[in-house]
Amino acid sequence: MASRPSFTVGASLSLGDGAPEAEKNAGESENTYILRPIFQQRFRPSVVKDCIHTVLKEELTYAEYSPEEMPQLTKRLSETVKDKLKDMGFDRYKMVVQVLIGEQRGEGVFMAARCFWDADTDNYIHDVFMNDSLFCVVAAFGCFYY
Amino acid sequence: MEPGKRRTKDDTWKAEDLRKHLWAVQSGSPKEDKKHREKKLHKDPEMDFLEYKEHKYRDPDRDARHRERAGERDLYPSKENPYGERDREKHREKRKDTKDREKEKLKEKHREQDAEKSHSRGKDREKEKDRRPRKEEMRQTAAYHNILIREARDRQLLDRADKKIRSGSKVRIEEKERREEDSERVDEDRERRYRERKLQYGDNKDNPLKFWLYKEEDERRHRKPREVDREKKHQEKSSTREKREKHLKEKGNLLTDKEGEERHREKRYRDLDDERHRSHTERKERVSKDEHKKRESKHSREDSSSVRTVTQRQGGEESVEIGKEANDLQNAGPDEISANFEDDFEDYEDDFEVCDGDDDESNYDPDSQEKSEELPLAQKREIQEIQKAINAENERIGELSSKRFPKQSRVECEKQFQADANNSPSRTPVCGIFVDFATASHRQKSRSQALKQKTRSTKLLRLIDLDFSFTFSLLDLPPVNEYDMYIRNFGKKNTKQAYVQYNDDNVERDVQTEDIETREVWTQHPGESALVSGGSRDRDISDAAAVLKIDTPRLSSFLRAACQVVAVLLEEDRLAAKPSWQLTVEDNSLHVSDSSCQLNTDLSFLQNRKVLCLHASQVQRQTVVSVHDLPGKTFSPSLDSRFLLCVWDIWQPSGPQKVLICESKVTCCCFSPFKAFLLFSGTVHGSVVVWDLREDSRIHHYVRLKDCLWTFRTPTFSTDGILTSVNHRSSLQAIEPVATSVYKKQSFVLSPFATQEEMSGLSFHIASLDESGILNMWVVVELPKADIAGSMSDLGLLPGGRIKLVHSSVIQLGNSLHWKDSEFWGPTQTLSVKFLPSDSNHFIVGTDLGLISHGTRQDLRVSPKLFKPQQPGIRPVKVNVIDFSPFGESIFLAGCSDGSIRLHQLTSEWPLAQWDSSTEGSAITSLQWSPTRPAVFLARDAASRVYVWDLLESDLGPVATQLISPDRLVAMTVMGESDKAGGSFLALALARASGTVDIQYLKRQWTIPKADEHSQLHLLLQEGPWNMEHCSRSTRVSPYT
Repeated sequence: MASRPSFTVGASLSLGDGAPEAEKNAGESENTYILRPIFQQRFRPSVVKDCIHTVLKEELTYAEYSPEEMPQLTKRLSETVKDKLKDMGFDRYKMVVQVLIGEQRGEGVFMAARCFWDADTDNYIHDVFMNDSLFCVVAAFGCFYY
Repeated sequence: MEPGKRRTKDDTWKAEDLRKHLWAVQSGSPKEDKKHREKKLHKDPEMDFLEYKEHKYRDPDRDARHRERAGERDLYPSKENPYGERDREKHREKRKDTKDREKEKLKEKHREQDAEKSHSRGKDREKEKDRRPRKEEMRQTAAYHNILIREARDRQLLDRADKKIRSGSKVRIEEKERREEDSERVDEDRERRYRERKLQYGDNKDNPLKFWLYKEEDERRHRKPREVDREKKHQEKSSTREKREKHLKEKGNLLTDKEGEERHREKRYRDLDDERHRSHTERKERVSKDEHKKRESKHSREDSSSVRTVTQRQGGEESVEIGKEANDLQNAGPDEISANFEDDFEDYEDDFEVCDGDDDESNYDPDSQEKSEELPLAQKREIQEIQKAINAENERIGELSSKRFPKQSRVECEKQFQADANNSPSRTPVCGIFVDFATASHRQKSRSQALKQKTRSTKLLRLIDLDFSFTFSLLDLPPVNEYDMYIRNFGKKNTKQAYVQYNDDNVERDVQTEDIETREVWTQHPGESALVSGGSRDRDISDAAAVLKIDTPRLSSFLRAACQVVAVLLEEDRLAAKPSWQLTVEDNSLHVSDSSCQLNTDLSFLQNRKVLCLHASQVQRQTVVSVHDLPGKTFSPSLDSRFLLCVWDIWQPSGPQKVLICESKVTCCCFSPFKAFLLFSGTVHGSVVVWDLREDSRIHHYVRLKDCLWTFRTPTFSTDGILTSVNHRSSLQAIEPVATSVYKKQSFVLSPFATQEEMSGLSFHIASLDESGILNMWVVVELPKADIAGSMSDLGLLPGGRIKLVHSSVIQLGNSLHWKDSEFWGPTQTLSVKFLPSDSNHFIVGTDLGLISHGTRQDLRVSPKLFKPQQPGIRPVKVNVIDFSPFGESIFLAGCSDGSIRLHQLTSEWPLAQWDSSTEGSAITSLQWSPTRPAVFLARDAASRVYVWDLLESDLGPVATQLISPDRLVAMTVMGESDKAGGSFLALALARASGTVDIQYLKRQWTIPKADEHSQLHLLLQEGPWNMEHCSRSTRVSPYT
């Protein structure tokens, strides 16, 4: 998976709002963008990880892998996580939550992400949950909207 | 500039002119034209937004078209495919015509505004020119970017125009062609977009940022948001203009060399675009330029623009020109053509959008058809005419181009037709014009928003850094091997896996599973041979065996010592088990003794030999020597003529320790006083013989007797035959060691030599007394080194022997013993000699006259010269034995041949006591003090009786008497030790007539000393009843004297 716009599995996007409108005052207004997030609103991976972890624990602890249910489950999970993250007050952040669920069958899996972004403001966190029948990878990317 | 190139450009602009003329003809009003153009140039803000919105929505379509053109360029580098382009031209033209008419009124409103704005724009441009040199590079890229956008927009317009034309004129052929184009565009759409992006980001990373930022500033300065678009165009123009100047010079060469090169084409394309714009502006500003090249281009541009803007003055001429230009189009590059057209169409873009924003295929509306039908018939006709003309022209061009590039064009044509055939059905329904203001405004809005975002992004991109910093590994789940998978599933049934580990904290597998390797090695300390250590390997063992060094003498000595120890232990064991058996069965023990044992005289070489005498060592009490007579029967020739001496250890009664042989008959013997390693003996021949018992047995004579090998030691030194001047000439009666204890006492500290002699145990002399009264003193000398070969000087020394006797002095006792009244008896015989234990200078000699002579070695005078018996006068009574008390009392016993026992005090001439009748007249042959009890002495008489005296118990006679019979007693000696508290013993060694020697251990009452026995004895001696007896006797005897 590469760069910002490409997401495949159960991804859900949330876009920070309002910024473009503010600038619409054409030539008259000053620019409204900020280059760095306010410290309190900065994307904090540890907090996000906790959030993801709790969600995964709630949802997946006793889950069994079944190919029919998984698409819904991934979507639901990604929405849940995204909503939670939105509530956490990361203003001006575009949150991208990706959820992948696979069956545990002994096969090897390697999953990596590559981001073309501003490493100073943007960040990501991922959490892996495993039980006997499935593994679930949740990656949350926070891209700052300047 | 090459003429060809120049011409191309000119041609291009002529082509444009042609179009203008066409419009002019169609519309019939040049004013309208002008209006349109102006409107395009000076867009209203609303229009801007619309434009952007549309731009956004139509992206794919636009891109597709644009790309198609790019693809065409690729395919036909120099010039090709006149069909598509030209057809499109026509469509556009026609469409515009129709639209123009509809929107004449709308545009008229804006005309005045535009005029005003043109002035301000001119100023802006000037400013920009100043900055140009600085930002040349940025602009290059930015310009290109803009061009792309605009092109896309143009294409959009084209599309719309096509549709309208279709609806209006319903020319099916054209529609087909258009559709064919579309299909190609769709194919190449993606590729093109990708290229665009690459150019934007990849090629010019920094420049766009700066450019956009700069541009925004510019905008802000003007405070005219609606001019944003226009500004862009100006910038574009200005920026590209310079570049064009630069590149135009190159262009000639480039074109001649390789017209197909994309990069140059792009530049050229840009240049043309630029030029066109510039011509517009220049025209407006009336700025004249000197450059020939520019002028040319300007000229052409002005031509075209004048056509558009001002009047129709050239009407007729231009119509002629159209033909020329059409011809020239062949030479012109397709890029240029298309670019020009696009540019022109762009001018009308806004109009279309305002008029008929939504003309998608999906929104196909019958109304549009109606509208097109509403157009005046005359116009329609005109349009058709123009179209025909264009078609004809196209055909001509097609022919020419196919002639030039038959292959390429043919292929292309074929492709196009095929595509047409395929796509025609889907495209047929697209027609009609529908003006939807709401959608259009929406589109406009979104477009403007997109622009905003774009500017915003470019501004921001300048400030921030984007990078692929890391590749995040989200999940790395290694494949599970078969066994683990099995285990994972295994546990899921009714079983559960658990592991238990011994040695819990020690998880290393190796520790538990592998055996410990062991190896046996040995080492020896101190290392005496070459090999001091070895291992368990076989090779080592064999090595050890090979290297083993055998020290035979050392081994033999060790074995000898070990044998002795073992033998002693065995004998002791045997002895311990024996007594009861001996007592009961053999009845060897006497009633005076507790137990007894018998020395093994059954040895073959001792058989038939009588014991002549016995002697016990004074220091090593368990050592006793027995002297054996010649055998009664012949046994062995080598031994028959010799006398044997056996040294016994009474604890080892099974055999003698040493067996000595002597040539002559031994009459007396004694051990060295401190250590019993030397045995001295006197013979009947008057010689003194010494045996050194330490000698190695190997230098002596071996005799194999039965199974045993016996060593018979010959004397180490013998005085036989040597020292004849001083030697004894008669049989030796006694031989005594003379301890030099007196000297020792005196010089104990002073003389270092004395200590050395003591150490060697040789600090003594030997006194030998013979019958004739000669007392010889011998000094025992130990040679420092043994000489196996024998000594030349020391005659009588055994080869290899180290002990020899040196004659020290001789004492003639004959003189002192000679007294007047003894003449009758002849020469006095000396029978025994004893040295005073406390003072070895003094000695007493027993004679055969019943007298005991007292003498000193230094011929000093002594107070009692003679010790006399109680009986006065001289009687022929032999004083056989004399014995000093070993307990320091200066008293001695004398046993006489008449059976009397006298107890003398050294200070007194007369005896303290004399017992005449204790033995009933039989001669006393042995008399010895007990070594354990001061008051006890033992006596033997010739009648084979043993008497035990205990003076404390009875001073009148023996407390016990034991008759030894029937085997007569021939010799007796006393041995005993009181040093050890529990180990003290008193034993009698008794030699029988049969040749046996047995040891009788006396009863405890005579062995254990009584408390305070010394003082009691002393008291007894001082105040004893013997004085009275002595007095009485003396009185009784006195008559004789």
